Amino acid sequence: MSSRPLSALLPVLAFACLLGCKGGGVGGAGGNAGTTGAGGNVTEDGAVTLSRADLLAAFGTCAAAGAHDFREAAVALETAVAAWGTAADDATRAAARDAFRTAMDRWQVMEMMQFGPTAPGTAFGAQDFRDNIYSWPRVSRCLVEEEIVARTYESPQFSTVLLTNKRGLGALEYLLFYEGSDTACGSTSTAVAGWMALSASEKDARKRAYAVAAAHDVAVRAVGLDAAWDPAAGNFVQTMRTAGTGNPVYPSTQDALNAVSNAIFYIETEVKDMKLAKPLGLDMMACPNEICPELRESLFAGRSKANLVANADGLRRLVAGCGPDYSGLAFDDLLEAVGDGAQAEALRTRAAAIRPTIDAIEEADLDQALIQDKPSVRAVYDAMKGVTDIIKVDFATVLDLELPEGVFGDVD
Amino acid sequence: MSTDARRDAFRARLRVALTRPRDVAALAVFRMAFGAIVTISAVRFAAYGWIDQCFVTPRVHFSYWGFGWLPLPSPLVTYVLFALLGVLGLLVAIGLFFRPAVAALFLLFTYLQLIDVSNYLNHYYLVSLLAGLLFFIPAHRAWSLDARFRPHIRSDVAPAWCTYLLRFQVAVVYVNAGLAKATTDWLLNAQPLNIWLSARTSLPVVGPYLDLPAVAYVASWSGFLFDTSIAFFLLWRRTRPVAYLAVIGFHAATHFLFPAIGMFPVIMIVAALVFFDSSWPRRAVERGRRILGVATAAVSPPPVGVSGFSSRWAGFGIGAAVLFMTFQALWPLRAHLYGGNVLWHEQGMRFSWRVMAREKNGSVTFVVRDPKNGREWHVSPTKYLTRVQEREMVGQPDLILQLAHHIARDFAAHGHPGVEVHADARASLNGRPAAILVDPRADLAREADGLGGKRWIHPAPAGPPPLLRPVGSRTL
Repeated sequence: MSSRPLSALLPVLAFACLLGCKGGGVGGAGGNAGTTGAGGNVTEDGAVTLSRADLLAAFGTCAAAGAHDFREAAVALETAVAAWGTAADDATRAAARDAFRTAMDRWQVMEMMQFGPTAPGTAFGAQDFRDNIYSWPRVSRCLVEEEIVARTYESPQFSTVLLTNKRGLGALEYLLFYEGSDTACGSTSTAVAGWMALSASEKDARKRAYAVAAAHDVAVRAVGLDAAWDPAAGNFVQTMRTAGTGNPVYPSTQDALNAVSNAIFYIETEVKDMKLAKPLGLDMMACPNEICPELRESLFAGRSKANLVANADGLRRLVAGCGPDYSGLAFDDLLEAVGDGAQAEALRTRAAAIRPTIDAIEEADLDQALIQDKPSVRAVYDAMKGVTDIIKVDFATVLDLELPEGVFGDVD
Repeated sequence: MSTDARRDAFRARLRVALTRPRDVAALAVFRMAFGAIVTISAVRFAAYGWIDQCFVTPRVHFSYWGFGWLPLPSPLVTYVLFALLGVLGLLVAIGLFFRPAVAALFLLFTYLQLIDVSNYLNHYYLVSLLAGLLFFIPAHRAWSLDARFRPHIRSDVAPAWCTYLLRFQVAVVYVNAGLAKATTDWLLNAQPLNIWLSARTSLPVVGPYLDLPAVAYVASWSGFLFDTSIAFFLLWRRTRPVAYLAVIGFHAATHFLFPAIGMFPVIMIVAALVFFDSSWPRRAVERGRRILGVATAAVSPPPVGVSGFSSRWAGFGIGAAVLFMTFQALWPLRAHLYGGNVLWHEQGMRFSWRVMAREKNGSVTFVVRDPKNGREWHVSPTKYLTRVQEREMVGQPDLILQLAHHIARDFAAHGHPGVEVHADARASLNGRPAAILVDPRADLAREADGLGGKRWIHPAPAGPPPLLRPVGSRTL
């Protein structure tokens, strides 16, 4: 046995070499000679360095801040709606509506941050707050009206008796903003007869009572979500920071990064393909006509445009940074750190380009804009696609990220 | 000696060499392991919910060219087929009704793979091939229930060609997997391993070392050298034990680093056993008994070297085997006929053992236009595909074409016949900036599928891929 196959020994030799090389201190972060405008550190040779732990902690801190902001707004909304429920007049209704707008604006930022406790379904760390707070697009005016007739909202088990599509911010929007006394239920609904039998004042009273219960439920959820992120309670920021071996939620930092990148895909599936493509008539199945304003997100509060602004804001917090003027650690810093500064810049630029296209829509909301200036809405769609093209292709490749729901089955 | 005489003498020697009896023990063990792997795979599919996700949930299935006629099973039938697959694997493993069982296993496994191209994996293809080969191999003549219940088929030997055929098939996998890595991306730019390893810095033990710049290069060259040479070192008796240890180490490492490759390491570790001497299981059993102190008669290998199996079918069988081997040797190379970068255009990519050869992501939006009224729709693949199907489709132009055809049919069914279907398709290969994959001017609804070159595929982006700096996991 004088000769040994070199190739057979190579993997072993290679590994042994690596262990030795590491001992020499070749790796590591290098010096911290400065910082980038966004958040990473810059070494003396110009390279941006950061750690995945710091980046994940930054994402967690960003989501925690968003959850805290929303909690404040949700509690204020609960108070305002309760006041309207107690003394119904134009002033209390206006105050409740204002509180709703604030809460929805803040929640729409959180829509982009559906990871950790905020994630829906069976995602890593999910505590299913999202659908309980806002179940769009699974909201139904008719279902809410059926509950108004049945007075189910009076149940002490409000949140368990009513499915998510009958409560949350979606139901609240209808209850606070829709003033008509008609029903969206078809003739097959058993509630139609009961609805017709209610007087207008009785309907209003029931809507107020329903809204009080729904606002209270949202506030409870908001407090729970805030606690899940809060360092003094659930401290999910620390869970993100410590992603890796031994972490019960994220066994690797890549799993945690995937969770955040999955959240970014909201900009494609919900924002681009639902909030915009359907009303724009780009989706043949959903919209057989030239345009379908009835498929916009906010049917009663007229907030479809404002929601897009908040979504774009949430997106920029994740790709550029969550600090003032979108500074701080974010995905662009990771791209810089791995050496793909061009893509980082492209991502920052395209994410920033969304807001001006929304601002360029002169009409108050998308329903009028679709009728009077459809190209202005299409421009928003194109701007969103500019971002999703990068996220699905370059971004996913360079960072080896998996698409949402893309991780099952063997590969190769 | 005349030419004819020399040819006859060569044929006679070849025939003797190929039909020489060899211990059947190694083949019997291979049969058992193979059957067990198939059963475990079927159970994994059920346990992980992959039957639903890969076969039941999809509303659109991508067919292999020429196999669009295959009927799709109902969900219930799909579950039954997987249960049957598990049972067939078990039958093969225990050697009961071996011939019909392995034939049914081959047909069923192959059918399940043919249902949807997006489920294609190299190791599924290998399982189909091995099942097909096993049908012709008398691996049930020993250590099987068939041999127990039907004494007349019992035999301690099998013709040598059985082992040679299996060795050839496994060698084809390794050598082609190695040749697929003989690219500038792999060897000079360490891609895609640089990307993959950069994302695994939080792995225990080795993770902190993966941020070393040299790691991806060492791993790339190690993989290339291993794949291209390991079959030869396994063939050589003197290097075989060390080579097999390398096989175990290599595949264990790939499993550790890339858990998503699933059963592939296990299959290859088992498959590489065919390179060992045909009596190795008897010696292993004897050694085991000796270690355990079990006093039994020596399990000596049967005599080998005596020519046999001179049936009149031998010549026909050898001819068929040569044809099969020729096909298997050439078929993976067909990608070269298309020119360009196969990792980009993917023509000739399947069935060529290009295992873990590229990191590719893409984005496709279908732009549908009705030429009669100028109306335009944007169709996201998610309207029709699962995310996993979409992930596969976006980088494979023939699948993009299939979905374009489906979309055209769907629009026709909804009152929009004759629409044009264009694809806004971009892809990134091994970390390069995204580039256009499909000519956006091409009306894919009117492009035919087939084996010929597809002119509507854009050329691969020029230039090397970037080398990424891995980012460590711990706080700086």
